[in-house]
Amino acid sequence: MWKNIYLWLDERLGLNDMYNNLLDRPEPKGSWWNTLGSASLFLFVLQGLTGIFLTVYYTPSPDHAYDSVQYIMEGVAFGWLIRGIHHWGATLMVIVVFIHLLRVFFTASFKFPRELTWLIGIGLFIATLGMGFTGYLLPWNQKAYWATTVGTQIAGSVPFIGELILKSLRGGPDLSALTLQRFFSAHIWIIPAILAALIGVHLYLIIKHGESHFPTKED
Amino acid sequence: MNDETKKKINERYEQELNKGERFWPDSIFKDVVVSLGIFLLLVLLATFVGVAPEPKADPSDTSYIPRPEWYFLFLFKFLALYGQIPLLGKIEWLATVLIPGIALGALTLLPFIEKNPARYYAKRALSISIMTILVVGIILLTLMSEVPTVSEDGSKLLGILQAAAGLAIPGLAMIVLFIASFAFKRTTTRFFIWTTSLASVSMILISGMVLALHVPPQVEETEVAVTLVDQIVAGQDLYSIHCVECHGDDGSVDVIEGVEGLEGEKITPINSTDVLYTITDSAMYEVIAYGRPNAGMIPFGKAYGGDLSRSEIDTMITFMRYSWDDRFESPAIPELFPPLAEGEVPSYDVHIQPIVKRYCISCHRAGKENNNYLMDTYEEILTTGDNAAKNIIAGDENSYFLQVIQEHEIMNPEKPDEVLIGVMPPTRSLKPNIIDVFMRWIMNGMPQTAVDAAALFTAP
Ligand code: HEC
Ligand code: HEC
Ligand code: HEM
Repeated sequence: MWKNIYLWLDERLGLNDMYNNLLDRPEPKGSWWNTLGSASLFLFVLQGLTGIFLTVYYTPSPDHAYDSVQYIMEGVAFGWLIRGIHHWGATLMVIVVFIHLLRVFFTASFKFPRELTWLIGIGLFIATLGMGFTGYLLPWNQKAYWATTVGTQIAGSVPFIGELILKSLRGGPDLSALTLQRFFSAHIWIIPAILAALIGVHLYLIIKHGESHFPTKED
Repeated sequence: MNDETKKKINERYEQELNKGERFWPDSIFKDVVVSLGIFLLLVLLATFVGVAPEPKADPSDTSYIPRPEWYFLFLFKFLALYGQIPLLGKIEWLATVLIPGIALGALTLLPFIEKNPARYYAKRALSISIMTILVVGIILLTLMSEVPTVSEDGSKLLGILQAAAGLAIPGLAMIVLFIASFAFKRTTTRFFIWTTSLASVSMILISGMVLALHVPPQVEETEVAVTLVDQIVAGQDLYSIHCVECHGDDGSVDVIEGVEGLEGEKITPINSTDVLYTITDSAMYEVIAYGRPNAGMIPFGKAYGGDLSRSEIDTMITFMRYSWDDRFESPAIPELFPPLAEGEVPSYDVHIQPIVKRYCISCHRAGKENNNYLMDTYEEILTTGDNAAKNIIAGDENSYFLQVIQEHEIMNPEKPDEVLIGVMPPTRSLKPNIIDVFMRWIMNGMPQTAVDAAALFTAP
């Protein structure tokens, strides 16, 4: 019975092809350093799942953001666990992605034919930092508020267009309800969409070119 | 890159593939182990470290020292150190935009900058050395981010050391490495290793010195009331300090008594539905922050020159709602202090401090009229005041302190018809159980800690 179901699905989905192309690939002898990319992916998915849960209770307005986060911590069953994982996951993701970048740098895996993988990777790195920066403001507490104030100020020091950048980040000259709204939207829609798309291309390129081997004297 | 090299690279890769493993199950296995490990770590962090509570954002509190997310701290520190450089330090955008921009740009275009197909470490000595120095620098700058560039005593030593470890040495080392690799074609790998190690080790040593020399300032622990009960209690304490003199313990005052300039002023009791139903939380915030200057209520919000932060005013509103507004159902609030058994002696920490905070601090703190009697700490209660010598005498029922809280005025010994100290608190009488606590405390020698007090326990 199962066999028949499998065959039926295989005929339509091409499960065997998928197995051969995606899973049963040959690879050079791997090392634990090669797990950092998939660890980044795992963290991205985990942040997505816990983040979706948080949006159920979170309200992006200066009057309610703080209380809604407080409610998640105190009132919702296991809310503290989910928020704790999301909070520490953000920190860990930045670390893991950065070490992944360093690993790729030190083994010179960005060289031919993987230049594009590297470029996409830089996009992923910036987007990950962007997630951290926008997410930090959301709890609307003192730390968040002032960190964002200085963060946007630094962006505002760009010559000529600084004023414009500052105002478009904050949605006005000062941090306000608009800023929170903007950061929220960037944090849950815009940047995750960019990340997901870039990860798609990144993974495609990795499968296409295969994992690079660790360099030896011959390389 | 010509087709010849490309072909060679591909052939070399084929060779490695033949000696290699399979994605499934070999690589996947490691990936799953690491991901599970990360998940476990996150659950442990969330459970045992948690997320530190923080007070609500308060745009008016400009005294708050802003700090970015931890992974931007190194940039922040870099900016601070850069700002010390004479002349150049004034051009802010060089450090905020140009240098990080160049660094990020170089990182992005790396595959096109390092075009040489060689992958082995020794053949890439320059880029590996530079990256190592950068990473060491970033880590050290992050670790030193807490240390100010000018110490409290005005010494610039720490700033100079930091600039050496975070700017000068790495900068110098990189210049040396560049010159060595472009000016002298035959620089050996060993030279790169030595320069990089020397620079990194001296950076680490100097930073270690900075961290060892730095005495972290005593930060005042700001307690954040998290649970509703904590918030109500904290709110009541704040209310007792700032509001009772005009509005009374329970907000029921309709004619102000004993406040200079407002004597006999008729006000709407703030515990009435008139006030509570018509003023929303945000309007209430405004009333308290901005005060009612025309009617005589001073502003309390930091933004208007008062000393309460947004969170503090919010907790006070929480207290008012849950205590007086019949639309809110109050949770069970623990007693101000644990009731005393027969023969038990109260201590400062457990009993006296909360009572004093609730009933006396509103007047007995700096800047109020109180015969210079401050009650913020244990020592102050025992030693300050114009009549300190006679206020609190261990084991003496005639201590002024005990007399005035039992509604006996103290007359001036020199001028017998002049009142020296009026009854305390001036406008209301204390409950018998509170007077009993003060009485037992002074009669038994004013123990400070619960342990000291327990030693004095006399079983009946
Ligand atoms: C120096 C005396 C004084 C102090 C201290 C004081 N108030 Fe008032 N308060 C007043 C006066 C006077 C009014 C005006 C009352 C009126 O117009 O009926 C007022 C009005 C109010 C009102 C609005 C009542 C209304 O009908 O609009 C609220 C709410 C209030 N006070 C809360 C507080 C809180 C909370 C504190 C402590 C942070 C406080 N007050 C401290 C004197 C004071
Ligand atoms: C409404 C303001 C107010 C409150 C509340 C208050 N005091 Fe006083 N207290 C004063 C003033 C004013 C004086 C100065 C003497 C006077 O004018 O009677 C004073 C003086 C004293 C003195 C004499 C100090 C000295 O060395 O001359 C003692 C003791 C004292 N208070 C105890 C208390 C205690 C205990 C409480 C709390 C249970 C309390 N007070 C609450 C206003 C207050
Ligand atoms: C959200 C962030 C990222 C995810 C989810 C991700 C995912 C992955 C995965 C799963 C792999 C294969 C396994 C491995 O080698 O570890 C990989 C490889 C690679 N990544 Fe990333 N990555 C991310 C960020 C980056 C960054 C920041 C860079 C560098 C700028 C980068 C550059 C590369 C390169 C060049 C490879 C090929 C390595 C090789 O073939 O040896 N990636 N990535």
